[in-house]
Amino acid sequence: MNRQRTAAAGTWLIAGLTACVLGALCAFVVLLADAGLAPFWPAAVEAVRLHDGREQVGELAGGDAAAIVLRTSEIERIGDGYRRLPRAAIAARTRPADAIALTLADGRRLFGRGGPAQAAALLATAATPAQAVDLAQPNALGALARLGAFARGVGRFLGTPPSASSLIGGVLPALLGTVTLVLLMSAVVLPLGVATAAYLHRRRGAGARVLRGAINMLAGVPSIVYGVLGLGLLVHGAGAGIDRLFYAERLPMPTFGSGGLLWAALTLALLTLPVVVVSIEEGLARVAPSLGEGSLALGATRDETFRRLLLPAIRPALLTGLVLAIARAAGAVAPLMLVGVVKLAPALPLDATFPYLHPSRQFMHLGFAVYDSALASADAIRGVPRAYACAALLVAVVVVLNLSAILLRNRLRERYRALDF
Amino acid sequence: MFSEDFVRAATRRRLRRGRRFALFVGLGTGLVLVGLLSIPLFLLGALLPGPALPPAFGAELARLLAGSLRAAVCAMLVALPLGFATAAFSAHFCAPRLRAWLKPALEMLEAVPTVVLGLVAAATFAPWLKLHVATLLAAIAVVPAVLLAAGFALGARVRDAGRLPLALLPLVAATLAIVLAIGAQRDAAAVVPASPWNAALVGVALGFAALPLVFSLAEDALLLVPGAHAQAAFALGATRWQALTSIVLPAAGSGIVAAALLGFSRCFGETMIVLMASGNTPIGGFDPLAGLRSLSAELALGMSEAAPASGAYRALLLAALVLLLATVVPNLLADRVRERLRRRLAADARAA
Repeated sequence: MNRQRTAAAGTWLIAGLTACVLGALCAFVVLLADAGLAPFWPAAVEAVRLHDGREQVGELAGGDAAAIVLRTSEIERIGDGYRRLPRAAIAARTRPADAIALTLADGRRLFGRGGPAQAAALLATAATPAQAVDLAQPNALGALARLGAFARGVGRFLGTPPSASSLIGGVLPALLGTVTLVLLMSAVVLPLGVATAAYLHRRRGAGARVLRGAINMLAGVPSIVYGVLGLGLLVHGAGAGIDRLFYAERLPMPTFGSGGLLWAALTLALLTLPVVVVSIEEGLARVAPSLGEGSLALGATRDETFRRLLLPAIRPALLTGLVLAIARAAGAVAPLMLVGVVKLAPALPLDATFPYLHPSRQFMHLGFAVYDSALASADAIRGVPRAYACAALLVAVVVVLNLSAILLRNRLRERYRALDF
Repeated sequence: MFSEDFVRAATRRRLRRGRRFALFVGLGTGLVLVGLLSIPLFLLGALLPGPALPPAFGAELARLLAGSLRAAVCAMLVALPLGFATAAFSAHFCAPRLRAWLKPALEMLEAVPTVVLGLVAAATFAPWLKLHVATLLAAIAVVPAVLLAAGFALGARVRDAGRLPLALLPLVAATLAIVLAIGAQRDAAAVVPASPWNAALVGVALGFAALPLVFSLAEDALLLVPGAHAQAAFALGATRWQALTSIVLPAAGSGIVAAALLGFSRCFGETMIVLMASGNTPIGGFDPLAGLRSLSAELALGMSEAAPASGAYRALLLAALVLLLATVVPNLLADRVRERLRRRLAADARAA
């Protein structure tokens, strides 16, 4: 009986720890969704009356047991409007319906109460003049209007470039930079992966064993080491060489000799190569051997069989590998920090001037935006919510890519169940 | 039927295409090989005589190595118990419907970029942990104790443990809520960390990041054990738990060690979480509540600022070489262990 009880206790322990893991996962998802979407809801404007009779109007930006932090009008520059108000000094906190929030072109926010006349007076209080881009009465909004404001906020975030301080505005360049980088990487890694898999498929000798071992080893190398390699060999080696040969007239200004899109894409291609090769090999292993044997029996060479029969048959596996590689690349931030990602790029790597794609340009990246806004921004109270918004977007991109890889894999399985004769 | 010329032309075309494909394969594989070999060769180049290393380079390197080690050990303290328990449950007890959710959920967690986990650690968890180290320690002690006690008292009545985690979720949540509520009431100063950014914080985030890897490798090892082994134990009257601890675990033991090794190697080389949550202060020693600076963070922060061909640059390349060795050696070791286990268990399965 006692042994039974001990066994039950052990079972409950591992089941409970599994429950902890499940709970932590759920908590993580909820936290990310909540904190990632919170910045887009129109924040309520509070009017705080103090015991000494003064009134402060602004958005609630934080607080603890002893005090609240209110973001009041930013008269001179972004981030100069924070007021720490001790809870003991507060007489009343209200959310008046006539509170107005004015957003200026440079991202500053001004708060006041009243109608259009007061808004004009409020604009005049700004020490450094700027144009007002948005006038809102957040407390007076109905549920539908709040939803509209939320949708507009998300749209602005996805569709506009950031301001000079990269605290305000959207993440369009970072999103574009991430996508361009990943596409360029795919264009490099796919042919390399196919060639390597073809070699491994044909050869069984020592060369193939060494190559396979090296690729397995590659999967375990920390991503930052790829960054070191990209910086040392590609940027300082190949890039500086290209500059000396072709862009000598622009030296000492580097063209390819500093971090840029091309070097980042090549670094990531090496980083994601194992994923692609392993995925292709899994696909090849799933194809029924009779398929290839039939082709060989009809007189096709091994190369022709691979190229004309196996490669089309494993297209879904190829795609799965590519999608997984893209997901891995989209999340790799550390190597990019060494090979060309920047906080604020002067120009997009993809634009309307010839040759449209500019592989030597520095670029912005969603993952780096998370790191930068969370830790290196001038205004942490704005930076952290912004980092969460970027993080939620990044996770959404990666999860969608992974889900599509899983769906592809399932379709592949069904297809070959039918072929398995 | 076909004229001789036509056949000859077609054959030439076939041969040409074949040569082109062979060229493509050769070129691609060659490029890949160059890329593969360039990693160790480039870093080994730093061992050649070059510009003088900065003074006290050895001590600095030792501090960084100790920092990486401290972060990885803390992470393992989180990832191994949770990962092994979840793997054992999933492989041996789990109802198929629950498992069909559990595995993809953990695969998704593996895909989450580590910079996001670093953000949660630095922006949300760090301010809480700064005040509530004692609460965290209490939770780590109380939750397993409550589970063991509840299992000892009530567990014998539950016949099928397949969905037990879902039933235990409220119990775990309630226990945690009580511990947190008590912790919030007591004054926070019971244990004061030396820095709000410390190894314990890194360990929790990094452990969470390594959890899916440890889970999937350990589960694979457990599933490799032929089902006949466990069934023989059941036939002799063993419970599922007894079959797990006395038959399956010893058989899969080396695979589980390999999972731990691979998890450790992953944590040792991780960059973003350590960069964001460790404070990046090079402090030696073993205090889990002090800040640290890891090899990977040193590379991420210092590499782009060091001038090429300077002493500092060479020192960083040496640090990268050390990092490469420290992650690749456990990896190779784990690969061999797993390979041997797979061969042995395959032979067992054939014999059964």
